Parts: sequence; C-alpha cells; structure tokens
Amino acid sequence: MSKIIEVNKLMKVFGKNEVLKDISESVDKGQVICVIGPSGSGKSTFLRCLNLLEVPTSGNVLFEGKDLTSLNEKDLNQLREKMGMVFQGFNLFPNMNVIENIKLAPIKVKNMSDTEADKIASNLLEKVGLADKAVQYPESLSGGQKQRVAIARALAMDPEVLLFDEPTSALDPEMVGEVLKVMKTLASDGMTMVVVTHEMGFAREVADQIWFMDQGYIQEKGRPEDVFDHPTSERAQDFLSKIL
Amino acid sequence: MQINKKWVTGILIALLMLLINVGHVNAASDTSLKDVKDKGTLVLGTSPDYPPYEFQTTVNGNDKIVGFDISIARKIAKDIGVKLVIKKMDFDSLLVGLETHKIDMVISGMNPSDDRKKSIDFSDVYYNGKQMMLVNKADKDKYKKLNDFSGLSIGAQTGSLQYSMSKEQINNVDIKGLAKVTDLILALKSGKVTGVAMEEPTAKAYAQNDSSLAVVDPGFVSAADARGAAVGFAKKSDTLVAAANKSIKEIKDKDLINKTYLPEASNYLTKNTADNTMIHYWKYFAKGIGYTLLITAISVVVGVILGTLLALMRLGKNKIIKVIAVSYIEFVRGTPLMIQVMFVYFGIGMIVNVPALLAGIIAVSLNSGAYIAEVIRSGIGSIDDGQMEAARSLGLSQKETYKSVIIPQALKNIWPALGNEFITLIKESSIVSIIGVTDLIYQMKMVQSATYKGIAPIFVAMVLYFVLTFSLSKLLNYFEGKMKHV
Ligand SMILES: Nc1ncnc2c1ncn2[C@@H]1O[C@H](COP(=O)(O)OP(=O)(O)O)[C@@H](O)[C@H]1O
Ligand SMILES: [Mg+2]
Repeated sequence: MSKIIEVNKLMKVFGKNEVLKDISESVDKGQVICVIGPSGSGKSTFLRCLNLLEVPTSGNVLFEGKDLTSLNEKDLNQLREKMGMVFQGFNLFPNMNVIENIKLAPIKVKNMSDTEADKIASNLLEKVGLADKAVQYPESLSGGQKQRVAIARALAMDPEVLLFDEPTSALDPEMVGEVLKVMKTLASDGMTMVVVTHEMGFAREVADQIWFMDQGYIQEKGRPEDVFDHPTSERAQDFLSKIL
Repeated sequence: MQINKKWVTGILIALLMLLINVGHVNAASDTSLKDVKDKGTLVLGTSPDYPPYEFQTTVNGNDKIVGFDISIARKIAKDIGVKLVIKKMDFDSLLVGLETHKIDMVISGMNPSDDRKKSIDFSDVYYNGKQMMLVNKADKDKYKKLNDFSGLSIGAQTGSLQYSMSKEQINNVDIKGLAKVTDLILALKSGKVTGVAMEEPTAKAYAQNDSSLAVVDPGFVSAADARGAAVGFAKKSDTLVAAANKSIKEIKDKDLINKTYLPEASNYLTKNTADNTMIHYWKYFAKGIGYTLLITAISVVVGVILGTLLALMRLGKNKIIKVIAVSYIEFVRGTPLMIQVMFVYFGIGMIVNVPALLAGIIAVSLNSGAYIAEVIRSGIGSIDDGQMEAARSLGLSQKETYKSVIIPQALKNIWPALGNEFITLIKESSIVSIIGVTDLIYQMKMVQSATYKGIAPIFVAMVLYFVLTFSLSKLLNYFEGKMKHV
C-alpha cells in the first residue's frame, strides 16, 4: 500500500512548551488511524500540523510525496483542499445556510459553477441524512446535525484524507451515534481517515491502527485488539485502565 | 509605542519644513499684481456675518454675499481688470488664508492693528467707523461711559480690535470673546453680557433691525494706526497693495461708501429682515442639509474602505505595514478633527490647491477611517479562530476567507457600533463650517446674521440634526434586522 501522509522527526514547540517532541509516522491510503491519549498530550496539535494549520518547529510533513513545509501559500492552499478537517466545535459558517456552507469552497477554490456545486452539495446532504435541512441556518440545527453538515462540507472538496479532531466530544450523548454512523460509512467506503477520539468502541471497530500519544511522543501503536487488550507501555496501561 | 511616536514626529517635522519652505519661495519676490492679472481672478476672503460690511442675502432665489466691503472688492477687481471670486471663511481663518495663498486679499471689516501687520500687509484705511457699544435698550441710560462697564461682562469678536481696545480701556472688565457677531448678540439678549463692542455701522444695523437693542457711544479712544478698516494682503504684495490704494483713493475722493455702497447694503438689509421667518429661509437650511449629508455619506463610504484596509494592515503579519497602520490610527485619534480639517485645507492646500468642500470631505474621511478601523478590528477579533481554521482547511486563501467568512460576520457584530460612528459623523462633520463649507451649521449662522435672530435658527438646526440622526438610526435598525444571517 502507498503512503499518503508521511511525518519525519516532527517537532512543535510553543514558547518553552515542547508539545510534539519527535514524531515519525506514516499513513497508508485507505487506512483509518485513531489517535488516543490524555488531554493536553498534543493530539490536536499533531493533527493541525498534518495540514499545516500549525507550522511545525522542525521536521517535515509529506503529503503524496510533497513536503508541505517547503510550499508557498498558494501551493499549500491547493494541497489543503485534499485534506478535509472536521472540528470538535463544528465551525460551520453562521452567515451562510447549510447548502451555502457546503458550496462555498467548491465555488471559490475549485471555481465550480453554482449548479454543479449545488448538485454535489445535495448529494452529500442526502448521504449524511440532512437533505431536508439545505436552506436552514446552522443556528437552528442540533449538534449532531451540525457535525454531519461539517463532514459533508469537508467531503465537498473530494479530499484524499479526512482529519477528525474529537468530532463527537462536544455532542450530547444521544447524538454521538448519528455522527459515528456517518464516519463508519466513510471508513467502509475506503476513505483515508485520521481520527482523534475518546470513543474507544468506535476506535476498536473501525480503526486499522491505534496510535497512543503521550508527552509529545506516539508511545504505542498497533492493531486495536493489541493496543486495547495488551498495552505494553505503562502509560498506555494507565490511560486505558482509567478510560475503559 | 515609543518608537512609533518618534517616527510620526519625524515625519510631521519634515512635512512642516516642506510647507514653510514652499511658503518662503512664494513670498520671495513681489509678483503679486502680475499673478492676479495672469490668472484673471482676484480671490477675496471674507466672513459674511458682519452687516453692513458683508453679509448673505438671497437675490432671485440665489445666495449672494453683499455689503459695502464687497462693493469695494468689486471696484478693486474691476480697476485691476480681473474677475472677483469670493471665498467665505471664518474670521479667524482669514489670516491663515492669506499666508497660505488660498485667497489674494481680505476685506472683512478688518482693522490694520500692529499685531496683524506682523503677519500681513494692509492697504490704506478705506473706512473709519467709530467703535461703539451695543446694549439692550432697557439699559441704554445706565451705560454711557466706558467705565460704566467696569466689573461687568461684555462681548467682542475674538481677535478683533474691539476686543483688545475694551481690554485696555475699560477697568476690570470681563470680556467674553466669540467668533461670530450673531453669537455675541445672542449673549447680549440673554443677559450673558451687558454690552457688545463693535463698529458703528454694524451696531447701528443691528439696532435698526432689532427694537430691543440700542447703540451707545462710550468714547473708545482709537490708536492712530489702528483706526478704521483696511484691505489685507499677504506679505510682500506691494504692487497689489498699490493697486488697491489707487481704487481706495478714488472711493474716498468720491465718497462712494456713504453715497452709494452703504445705502445699497442697507437696502439688502431691510429686504433681508422684511420677512425673517424661518420658513422664508428654508432654502438655506435645505442647502445646509444637502452638504452635511453629502460630506457624511462620502466620508462613511471612504471611511469604511479605509477602515477595513487599516484594520487588515493592523492584523496582518508584516511588521512595517502594521506600524504604519497603528501610527496612523493613533495619530488621527490623538488629534482634534478641527485641526485636521484646518491642516488639510491650509496645510496640504499650500502644495496642491484643494477646494474647501473637498478638503472637508478628505479630512472627515481620513478621520472616520481611523475610528472605523478600530471598530472593524474589534469586530474581526470577536470572530472565533475556528472560522478561519475551517475555511483554511477547505483550501480557501486568507483573502477569500476574510471576504466570504470573517468580514460578513464581523460586519454584523459591529453594525451597532458602526451605526454610532455614522451618527457621530453627521454631527461632527459640522466642524467643516470653519473653512467655509456651507453645511447645516454654517447655513444656520448665515440665517442668524441675515435675520438678526439668534435662537430661532439654532432651534431649527437642532431639530433638523435630530431628524437626520433619528431617521438614520431607524434606517440602520432596519438593515440590522435584515442582516440576521449575513
Ligand atoms: N496555539 C497554542 N499556543 C500555545 N500553546 C498551545 C497552542 N495550542 C496548543 N498549545 C499547548 O499544547 C499542548 C497540547 O495541546 P493540544 O494539542 O490541544 O492537546 P490535546 O488535543 O491532546 O488535548 C497544551 O499544553 C496546550 O496548552
Ligand atoms: Mg484536542
């Protein structure tokens, strides 16, 4: 299988806070990676370094073989559209209705015609089960619905990879299921995904690999049944005993 | 910030040096008469609120400045063989107008005092009015001599001869200086002052048109050099002064002022006061509203564009651009709008000739840009970082993100604050009246001096300003409602 993302000796420092110390990993095409770890361990920062929303202090991030850290703004914008991102706080644009949220990037970035974008957006809304919400504004949607719109919005750019940063952490428990269901469908359709999550059930079921992150390193990685049932490092054991 | 301030000071000093130098070059040799002849116009600066010297009236529906000073100006222009152009200005601004060559001469009932002679040249005296005191008719018999005013308050035009004479010749008197004669009359009638020192013809005109006022001659002693009114010119304008003196000699020889000019002026005066209801002057107010709205509208548009630009400059990464934006904003917010208006009109006006209206619009726009920049910056700051991240992760450029995502939301958040700024602008733009832009305030003063009524025009202007700001705030509320999702 071909590597789609490759990270070499990635370091990220905020002031004196060494958040990512030395990470070298890779993601294969079609793979689903779930990143777990205690709060503050640098999971979000790692994810944001992958699409260069955060500029690494040192090291490289390669996407389809191209080193993102050496690109200029314009080329970076072009590569970013291939890496969709879904946030904990949804970050829908409140000044646009649901379908406008989804159409914005295809029209502005891909110069798609309005009708073409409309067709894509409608299909995606169908896919996430929100066809009837097209002209509503985000403020009138529930958390679960917002997150499904956000996923549709990311999918509208037809990305190669989707990055999820705790997509269900801000949701009421009864809405977690509907979002995870959409994500499972994506995974089974072969989408490459890197998911930061605390949903261990989901991780166990869907992930090809679990990465356990702590203190700026990926401390442990492997198939879900290995990491969850037989963690080798003390830190992973400790973390899992608390969370499971 | 320390560095920024030094930097701004440096630029300012450089700019001032430049202005001073330009001034010197212009004054180096006397080509004044030739210059006037070459351009074919003689530009008169005057403050038309001083009947019967100069005041505004309506002839066949058009505003016109008349008075015996204007007749003299016409004669001088005609004798030179050029066209007369009249520029209205505050009395206080006239000297600066000459020094900056905005105008060629001043005829505005101005006395050739020693102080003034330090900065400008004067013609021979063309009219020798005595200094009088205007009082309320009821007090007429109480105040006969100068020292009857001792220990009391009297009024005089700021910077006028009457002001300094009163100060020197009346013991222990409290002088209230105001720029406009109309305001002085108001102070007199409302009992704020017991008398107003002014020239005989003016005092008489007011007494004639207002039965509650009377003129007394308290016996002011005029210094020999400062008696009467003369025509003012920029320094080193000997040839132009000589030309004016020739005309003045003829005027005096033929006694034209008393025989022709003054009667003509009085004629206009009685016509002015024949119907001095506010309705009769609706055109004055309408014109004032027109200019106030024009200045405000343009300044708002330019201000929003400039403000957005400055806010983005300030939020951007480039240090130098940031410093420029911050310095500009801090400097503009740290100086009064009045000074900025005068700086643009007189200061910049020395390098390129900017008409008063344009100068006013430029100054108010530049000013509102700085304030709006801060409003917009806080609006952009109030937008969650997640919005920028979401847009960037979709591949939108920073510019496109601002345009489609950030600014529309920021605009909605700051709409009330922007609305306030617009409303403030309607009111603050009134400051342009000092350079003679005929906005609502200026027109109000014109009506005051034309009708000899102090309060009524103020009341009308106040109501009009309120109607303007109130309808604007209603209009903004309407748009705010419409903008729910924008
Ligand atoms: N923009 C930033 N500036 C400074 N410190 C940051 C920034 N973003 C994250 N951090 C710090 O980096 C550390 C890791 O944060 P984060 O990546 O959000 O962890 P996680 O997502 O695993 O909870 C935390 O200590 C946080 O305070
Ligand atoms: Mg996080």
